[in-house]
Amino acid sequence: MHIMEGFLPVEHAVGWTIASAPFVAYGLYAIKKRVRQYPEQRMLLGVAAAFTFVLSALKLPSVTGSCSHPTGTGLGALLFGPAAMAPIGLVVLLFQALLLAHGGLTTLGANTFSMAIVGPFAAVALFRLARSLKLSFAVSVFIAASMADLLTYVTTSVQLAWAFPDPQGGFGASFLKFAGIFSVTQIPLAISEGLLTVLIFNALKRFNPQELQDLNVITRAEVRA
Amino acid sequence: MLIEQSAYANRWRRVSPAAKAAFALCGFIGAFVAGTPSAAVAVAGLLAVVTMAGAGVSPGRYLRVAVPALFFLSISCLSLAFSLDFKGEAQAMTFKLTPAGLQQVADVSARSLAALAALLFLVLTTPLIDLIALLRRLKTPELLLEMMVLCYRMLFVFSAAVHDTLTAQSARLGYATTGLALRSLGGLAASLTLQIWQRAHDLHVAAQARNNDGPLRFLEPRFANCGRDGALAAASGGALITLAVWLS
Repeated sequence: MHIMEGFLPVEHAVGWTIASAPFVAYGLYAIKKRVRQYPEQRMLLGVAAAFTFVLSALKLPSVTGSCSHPTGTGLGALLFGPAAMAPIGLVVLLFQALLLAHGGLTTLGANTFSMAIVGPFAAVALFRLARSLKLSFAVSVFIAASMADLLTYVTTSVQLAWAFPDPQGGFGASFLKFAGIFSVTQIPLAISEGLLTVLIFNALKRFNPQELQDLNVITRAEVRA
Repeated sequence: MLIEQSAYANRWRRVSPAAKAAFALCGFIGAFVAGTPSAAVAVAGLLAVVTMAGAGVSPGRYLRVAVPALFFLSISCLSLAFSLDFKGEAQAMTFKLTPAGLQQVADVSARSLAALAALLFLVLTTPLIDLIALLRRLKTPELLLEMMVLCYRMLFVFSAAVHDTLTAQSARLGYATTGLALRSLGGLAASLTLQIWQRAHDLHVAAQARNNDGPLRFLEPRFANCGRDGALAAASGGALITLAVWLS
């Protein structure tokens, strides 16, 4: 669920674009450095963007019985790193706007900030924290993916509450209102996305452990196990 | 994809993408400078008429593309209309409909409608590959363009793979219950994830076989009458912005 075209006032749309720009620029710098070191990864990120786009179009059954789509934020961040996810997320969001009229061009900066910056960085930070606390790989992946999904929508709520403060309760009441509305669908969806990401990583560990080790997701000891 | 079909089949397919982008940009500016909801709605209406009558996009297709976005807009506006109120000593939370909230809904929904119409004008008349070529001329970083080109080419391959896998899984009752659906979806996404490396490796080998170690270059379509199209777009876009200001 992205902020739709023209919904944000112009100063907010421009502000969020400026806020996202350094992350995207750093992401491009990080990718360039990586490609120089491993030229075979040049094609990987473009293919990964297509994968994220297609993944976001899949219908995900929610535990409340409703249906929505996964963001792929946590999965992408764990596989390719949070810095690379900023440009990948930008491309995916741009394509969603241009091919599906989902999201928008004027809100691209705000949507990039919530989905391609906050979500991936939160996912990787939580994954590392969970691993350092000796939680199992599956639990760590679940926490990272579901919290990345949730924090994406918390950020969207902050963006909307900031743009449209409640006439009586101000920013706080407006944030409560937007976060409350999102929570009805997003908490069950975050749980579903967490479970789905665990299933994906289980399959990857089984069939492609070498690639996971190359991407520093699992250790050599876990590959042997 | 409905938008892609229309982008390739409309009457203005051979009009310069720069001219169409300039007119859409004027549409966005018109949406934001319109001072009243009625002015923004007029901008939206004009953009929709230009897309349907000018570019020849059928009203049915236009509506089918716009309906999901309009549904989302109506839900978003509903949440704007109500204000949170904490009443009594117990500070019970209630939702209240306020005149200020209604005015905000009118302003935001009209602006959003006009901006959506500008976006739809651009995407329904211009194929994505033309927009990527335009971004290249606008000096967008080469790495970002490369990701866009690869993403565009690969997403149809992945879409076909998803379609085939979904059909095979459904035929085996893979989506009969919520639990099974989640499990099937996990298998589908995992098999797609494995394809990322395989396909990326194949593309890398193919590029190396052609001695490619730099940016990916493709032949870009040429457009006749770029100057005339640009002048027309600038004039009509300027008129659109003037109208938005005048109606405010």
